[in-house]
Amino acid sequence: MKSRPLLILAACLFIRLVSPAQDKVGFKYGEVSPQDFLPTAYPIDSSANAVVLADVGSTEIVGNNNGWFSLVFKRYTRIRILNKNGYDAANVQIHLYSDGRLEENLNNLKAVTYNLDNGTVTQTKLEKSNVFKDQLDRNWFVKKFTLPNIKEGSIIEYQYEIQSDFIHNLQPWNFQGDNPVLWSEYNVSIPSFLTYTFLSQGYQPFFIKDSKDKTMSFNVAESGGTTATERISFTAGVTTYRWVMKDVPALKQESFTTTLKNHIARIEFQLSEYREPLEYKNVMGSWKDMAAQFLQSEYFGDPISKPNNWLDDEVKPLIATAHSDVEKAENIFNYVRDHFSCTDHNRLEMDQTLKALDKTKKGNEAEINLLLTAMLRYARIPTDPVILSTTSNGYVPPLYPLVSRYNYVVARALINDQPVFLDASLPHLGFGRLMPYCYNGYARIINTEATPVILSPDSILERKVSSIFASFDDKGNLTGSMEQKLGYYESMDIRDRIKEKGKDALISEMQKAYGTDARIEGAVFDSLDNADNSLSMRYDFKTGQTKEDLIYLNPLFAEAWKENPFKSAKRLYPVEMPYAMDETYLLNFTIPDGYQVDELPEQVVVKLNEKGDGRFEYRLAVQENSISLRTRVVLKRTFYKPEEYDMLREFFNLIVKKQGEQIVLKKKK
Amino acid sequence: MRTQVVLLAVLSLILSRPAGAAGGDGAYSVANIPASLLKNAHVVKRMEVERFDLKNPGEAVYSIKYALTILDEAGDDYAEFAVHYDKFQSIRSIDATLYDANGKEVRSLKARDIQDKSGVSENNLIDDDRMKEHNFYCRNYPYTVEYSYEMKFTGTMFYPFWMPLQDEHVAVQSSQFIFTCPADYQFRFKAFNYTGQPVQTQEKDRKVFTWQVGNLPAVTLEPYAPELRFLTTYIVFGPTQFEMQDYKGTMETWADLGKFIYALKQGRDQLPENIRATVHQMTDNEPDPYEKIRKLYEFMQKNTRYVSVQLGIGGWQPYDAGYVATKGYGDCKALVNYMYSLLKEAGITSYYTVIRAGRGRKSFLTDFPASTFNHVILCVPVKQDTVWLECTNQTIPAGYLGDFTDDRYGLLVDENGGHLVHTPRYGLRENLQVRHIKASLDEGGNLQVQANSTYDAEQQDDVSGLINTLSRDKVKEYLHENLDFATYDISSFDYREKKGRLPSVDESLAISVSNYATATGRRVFILPNVMSRARLRLKEDTARQYDVVLDYAYRDVDTVEISLPAGYQPEAMPPDVDVSNPFGRYRCSVRLLGNTLYYYRLREQYSGRFPATQYNDLVRLLELVYKNDRNRVVLVKKD
Repeated sequence: MKSRPLLILAACLFIRLVSPAQDKVGFKYGEVSPQDFLPTAYPIDSSANAVVLADVGSTEIVGNNNGWFSLVFKRYTRIRILNKNGYDAANVQIHLYSDGRLEENLNNLKAVTYNLDNGTVTQTKLEKSNVFKDQLDRNWFVKKFTLPNIKEGSIIEYQYEIQSDFIHNLQPWNFQGDNPVLWSEYNVSIPSFLTYTFLSQGYQPFFIKDSKDKTMSFNVAESGGTTATERISFTAGVTTYRWVMKDVPALKQESFTTTLKNHIARIEFQLSEYREPLEYKNVMGSWKDMAAQFLQSEYFGDPISKPNNWLDDEVKPLIATAHSDVEKAENIFNYVRDHFSCTDHNRLEMDQTLKALDKTKKGNEAEINLLLTAMLRYARIPTDPVILSTTSNGYVPPLYPLVSRYNYVVARALINDQPVFLDASLPHLGFGRLMPYCYNGYARIINTEATPVILSPDSILERKVSSIFASFDDKGNLTGSMEQKLGYYESMDIRDRIKEKGKDALISEMQKAYGTDARIEGAVFDSLDNADNSLSMRYDFKTGQTKEDLIYLNPLFAEAWKENPFKSAKRLYPVEMPYAMDETYLLNFTIPDGYQVDELPEQVVVKLNEKGDGRFEYRLAVQENSISLRTRVVLKRTFYKPEEYDMLREFFNLIVKKQGEQIVLKKKK
Repeated sequence: MRTQVVLLAVLSLILSRPAGAAGGDGAYSVANIPASLLKNAHVVKRMEVERFDLKNPGEAVYSIKYALTILDEAGDDYAEFAVHYDKFQSIRSIDATLYDANGKEVRSLKARDIQDKSGVSENNLIDDDRMKEHNFYCRNYPYTVEYSYEMKFTGTMFYPFWMPLQDEHVAVQSSQFIFTCPADYQFRFKAFNYTGQPVQTQEKDRKVFTWQVGNLPAVTLEPYAPELRFLTTYIVFGPTQFEMQDYKGTMETWADLGKFIYALKQGRDQLPENIRATVHQMTDNEPDPYEKIRKLYEFMQKNTRYVSVQLGIGGWQPYDAGYVATKGYGDCKALVNYMYSLLKEAGITSYYTVIRAGRGRKSFLTDFPASTFNHVILCVPVKQDTVWLECTNQTIPAGYLGDFTDDRYGLLVDENGGHLVHTPRYGLRENLQVRHIKASLDEGGNLQVQANSTYDAEQQDDVSGLINTLSRDKVKEYLHENLDFATYDISSFDYREKKGRLPSVDESLAISVSNYATATGRRVFILPNVMSRARLRLKEDTARQYDVVLDYAYRDVDTVEISLPAGYQPEAMPPDVDVSNPFGRYRCSVRLLGNTLYYYRLREQYSGRFPATQYNDLVRLLELVYKNDRNRVVLVKKD
């Protein structure tokens, strides 16, 4: 994990002293004056469609009537809508959760639109009947509304409260969003009997970051059904933390970004301890504690640590004829992969028992890989589950055992003491392979030690070797034969395309790249049905180009980089590529009789940087009657800081230029 | 008592299985599929029985049972069960069974396996659409899924249609549609590609019509083919009398349907006093009726936006004009009704016109009155002319319809019912793109480009969408990522819109392109076609089956001047081309005069319906365009 920016900042950020006049948002709900409509654009982003003037939230913890505590989250937002493209800011959705017994409640919702009509401010309020509820699934529902009477220049305000009994889910706060924010503030009051760990990330500085202490009383009641209601009251110290950011730019989507979640300015909270007057408990615990919980959980570790003799019928035939542990593991892996369907690739625990999975043959990726683990263990191959966060789910902090940040389970077997990572949830993924989206940094093996592993995209290499013999045939047509060994993930892609559209469609696509009158014949694919290996292909091609007095030849044929993958001129966030790459192209071209070389491209060898993280070679040689070319593009590193962007863009600019160059042959006089 | 329960269970088992096609006894064995149906297929529909029982003019029960054999992975999507329901169509009694290749039952559905999800469309703030979903996720090919369910219709404006061959690569072994209704009720149907007549029988006091097809081999869709439903067996059904909530209607003629729609919107045109005053202030002193319309339309665009709330009858009935006036939003119905009310206040008559927007402009059945509409626009007759208003778009010019609603039939609604009307068509003359490029090439092969383009009518739809929905920064970003150059920077850009009934957009781009030309020693290779290289290529097809339908006609004209470094002479120049055929025309030529390279290109595409035998002419024309658009000039340094 080289040079990745420190996304998770320790709680020791620079605290700025501010004069009282500018340390608060300068207005209140309902107070809108004609002057507020004056700006037609805001300096922070002159092309913004809407600007969030203030977004202020707070969370408090209070006693409730269920014998425990509730979170009270309040939010106030004021937005200036500058033009029609900013109207979307007037559509508001509030997602709420219910576990079947307890439900988050939305209270005290108010919303109003202000317009300036002939110099006076008019108000249009949201009516209660225009707040709609949409039940998304069993647990999640959304309350939505749109503000009335929106025009270019409108100011909208809304505020609401959410009462929640799920104290593990203290609302996180995004300081950044689709529109620029002038003032974003979050206040969280935490009583001394609960400890939360704060995790903040992003590249924006805090304008204010401070805290204040006070004392508050807490009233907790519990009715025991038939018995009388028990009431407890006590006082405890409360610390109110305050975070403010000013002038936060809008988030932007860029190519080669795994997820904007890694870059958004945000703070979130993890419950870590109960303290006096509650009975002390380390809720978050250490990684070892967490692993122990996983190991004991009936939805994770417990079912795979049993003898599971019921697996005998299935596993026995798979290992009966196997001669080695590798073969045993392969047979079991192939069996699970080929007989089970994955219904969800975003789960960290089982929703059904292993036996139920074995019967229905469908389940989420955690279930399938836990069954794989159980079967491998049954075959006496030491195997443990591994939890990780996929690239689209975002990075995980390495230190804290924050289970909620993980979303995926694979297996790690030790075969002849060598670690082998396995994922049997994807029908076309081979033995010992993980998808690039699993290579996202820190992962944990769920064993008693909770051993950390790093899955770095730098560690997977897409290696491609293409080799062409080309010449003019006796009829004067430019023809050649291609032999190509693809990288593993490109092989997967080709297999998928063949499955979907057939071989002929693929060949016809490939053919187009050789020119308008080109033909590809005799295509042979190796390892087409063997998902464990990379694919090789061989074919002959005819380009449609004929022998004229002057021959212009692009020696790369269809293999050139024709476009720079880094199109945009500017870059805000790091470039994250899915894997390292190494592409080699070899050509041997026979100079037709009676012709001589008139012009050849120059050779170049270029390094991406001093360290040699990338390299481009273009070497040509002429021997008697043939020209040989070797060109190679290597990128060893997958992560580049924004300041390295220009270097990457220039590197590919050169590759595209070089690979577009022509060889010129001339008929001898 | 116990016997009775068992008996009932057996009985219901028998009843739920149509005669002759019971699963579980191996009937779904893959061995029973005729070889002709396996060809080209990922899925075989083994059986299907759809039965629509109209109980009375306002209620119906629609029962569906089907079994699909999934032959390979590419057919998996069809194994998924996903059915929408809403306030007018409730769903019940979902049953499902999975069978293996031998037709042996593997397992059946448990009620808790069915997922109930929100089906609210992205397009709507809220509607009452929900979905039931289920999937066996089987992986042992081939396998068969059998589903049956029932839908209860409490609104009868929409009858189902029957189209056994629903997609390419799906063969049909057997499919049946049964329509029943009270003996004295008249329903309507229209059949395409069905030989013979339905079998008519009587069940007590109900009449029963049965259609049946079998052994339909899988088809492969071809590019630019007519819609599949007109190439295969397709039967549409429609009511005579129908009901929606408290509203009753008839649908024997377009005027009948128009009356019903008119009744839903009637009396919803009351404007608040302040808006009425504004209307008069804006229009009373304006003599030109077109100008009046434009002013009111722009007022509507400025003060409203599209927000769609579709609940119950609200899916078909517009919110009243007063609602739109105070809330400042509405869906297509509400906004059209509001615009209608504004015009009415100004003394201008206009007509609420329902239409099927989006794709399939040519597939409207003029002789089968049915509510296949999904959108409303406003028709305003002015003298001998008609002005069309699309009211859900805040930037489109008054009187212009884009390709969303152009060139198709709609139902104009008035107090007498209504009649079909046809919206304007934008053709070769209107859809114009004219581009002039002045560029200069330096010794290193870098090109400085000044490109001035004018886009007219539907050629401006995308550009207009781009500049009206994205901020200037985002437009810049878009330009930085989407031009057909390897590495380039946009140094400046500007757009000017000319709004009108035939709108146009002027675009001015200054671009610097790195390594545009390939320089190798003494030679320079350069593409004279800088920015108008066609991308579309098709594959020749010697066995083309279906007609070729091209909807969109356009003309592109390009002129390019590239000034070159001094001292080069031409070594290879592309030949002039001038080719035309029924599908279009292509001309290009390039000249070097002094140190300037001149290029001219004309591309016309015609619309129409062409016989399948001409398909390869289209392919060859496109290929010729593709190739010549990429022809390069080779220049060599003078010695």
